[in-house]
Amino acid sequence: MAADTTYEVVWPRSPKTSELAPLASRHGDLEGKKIAFLWDYLFRGDEIFPILEAELKGRYPGIEFVGYETFGSTHGDQEHEILANLPENIRKLGIDAVVSGMGC
Amino acid sequence: MLRVSAIAEQAGVPSSTLVCEGFAGQAATTAVGLGMPNLPVAIVPGHVDMQTDNELRDNIVEVTLGQVIANLTEQPGDAAPVVEPGPNEIVFDGTFEEVNRLYYENGWSDGLPIVPPTREKVEAFLEFASLPPDHVFGKLPPDNRAASVWSVAVNGVMAGCRPEYMPVLLALAEAMCDPDYGVEHSGNTPGAETLITLNGPIVKELGFNYEQGALRDGFIANTSVGRFWRLYLRNVAGFLLHQTDKGTYGNTWRVVLAENEDVLERIGWEPIAADFGFARGTNAVTISRYTGGDVVASVFGQKPEQMLPYLADALVKQSGWELAFTVGIAQGTYRPLLLLTPILAETIAKAGWSRDDLKDALFEQARLPAWKFEQYIGGYNNLVPGRRTLLDMVNLGKAPRIFAESSDPERLVPIVAEPDDILIAVTGDPMRTNAYVFSHNGMLGYPVGKEIRLPEGWHEKLRRARR
Repeated sequence: MAADTTYEVVWPRSPKTSELAPLASRHGDLEGKKIAFLWDYLFRGDEIFPILEAELKGRYPGIEFVGYETFGSTHGDQEHEILANLPENIRKLGIDAVVSGMGC
Repeated sequence: MLRVSAIAEQAGVPSSTLVCEGFAGQAATTAVGLGMPNLPVAIVPGHVDMQTDNELRDNIVEVTLGQVIANLTEQPGDAAPVVEPGPNEIVFDGTFEEVNRLYYENGWSDGLPIVPPTREKVEAFLEFASLPPDHVFGKLPPDNRAASVWSVAVNGVMAGCRPEYMPVLLALAEAMCDPDYGVEHSGNTPGAETLITLNGPIVKELGFNYEQGALRDGFIANTSVGRFWRLYLRNVAGFLLHQTDKGTYGNTWRVVLAENEDVLERIGWEPIAADFGFARGTNAVTISRYTGGDVVASVFGQKPEQMLPYLADALVKQSGWELAFTVGIAQGTYRPLLLLTPILAETIAKAGWSRDDLKDALFEQARLPAWKFEQYIGGYNNLVPGRRTLLDMVNLGKAPRIFAESSDPERLVPIVAEPDDILIAVTGDPMRTNAYVFSHNGMLGYPVGKEIRLPEGWHEKLRRARR
């Protein structure tokens, strides 16, 4: 090809399928709130969540928790189903906030 | 885990995602794709698996805890939208070298020169599409971009494909969007690479190599379609090294594997596509992610019974931590692949064995002691937390009974949940007695097959393209 040949080229990517989504409103205080733990059953979450639970309970005596066993592994053969059911479970269980792990 | 948090935020509750220090970059880029660039994370210093109990506790209490509280109580700032070009917009006019520099600097190419995707080149690919350019197969995480026919054509041009490969490329894009495949896991740390297997008359029509040197680059169809897969993962799904792709080591893309359809017909065996519902003679692609593979050199024997111990041993040896996809992380999703050269398949078939007979025999013989299986899924590592035994897993309903037929740790257990989980393909040097085994990445790239839809006037278009 000639050195001065030029090419008008198109964008190789594709439009995003969703717009920017706003985050949920934060709670000013966690006292009296119900926190759900969701876990991918990897990377020592079974040790980390109890530490978080005890420490949060020490700071906010009225705080409540919903354990990861309630939902099942978020990274396994039931993953799609568990994630699809999450909004309904959040509503049904009256959950105020979610802590999800472990990204390692 | 950010996906969980994004769902929670959409449901109206604040979230905090726990992320090991080395994954903060991946979290930040994945959050952009989820439409929530400001999604907050709480960092766990270092990597948890390398820390003593006290070190882990100190890190969680001193670093992570405060961030979790802040994430749930302090409102992050709003994210600013990013303006992007339209899908068929001209983004640059320049020389071959300038185009390649621009694409590389923007993360749009893999480091090799790309064919400049001009509208004219893209239109030539669209001539071979059975669907309109704006047709969308689905969205591809982590970037959640539309897998459109147009974008397939653009990346096909860039990969060095020929326009007539378009039906194969479209089937691949459709397969990539299949939820069973799990494309969202393509940036996970084992760094497994997808193998595309091709069946049907299209193998010969497009000149795919299916004999000696299968799996080696050197044939434009096999090589360029394999490259297309990786470019599409990059540009449309959005998997980029040092960002959303956290493969610890990774591989270069695999060239397309085509089965030897002539031999399959002669011995009466079904193609691999039959495992996904497509009869012999159907043009189809199968995709699956494999963590690695090894050759099984110089298989010896005149009867299947003589060859089986070696083939079964190879399947066992290639299956280590991946057994956590048989029992553990995702039950029954481990599907290793055995490649047989035609002469091996013909020798087995001559004894009256079907492909299913071979699967059954391999299921019986490819076994290892239960204690060794347990080491791979939660002894050497922590993939199954709590040091659970196979017996525990069966009792919890998380493994088939065959894994606990006794409590003897020396009992032999299979590497897969059922015989059909072993995939078999016939390809490679027709007259050489080697085989090949791939270890599989389970649910993080579960096998999926799709039919290849040909455009109207396929053969005439193909004739014209060849002139």
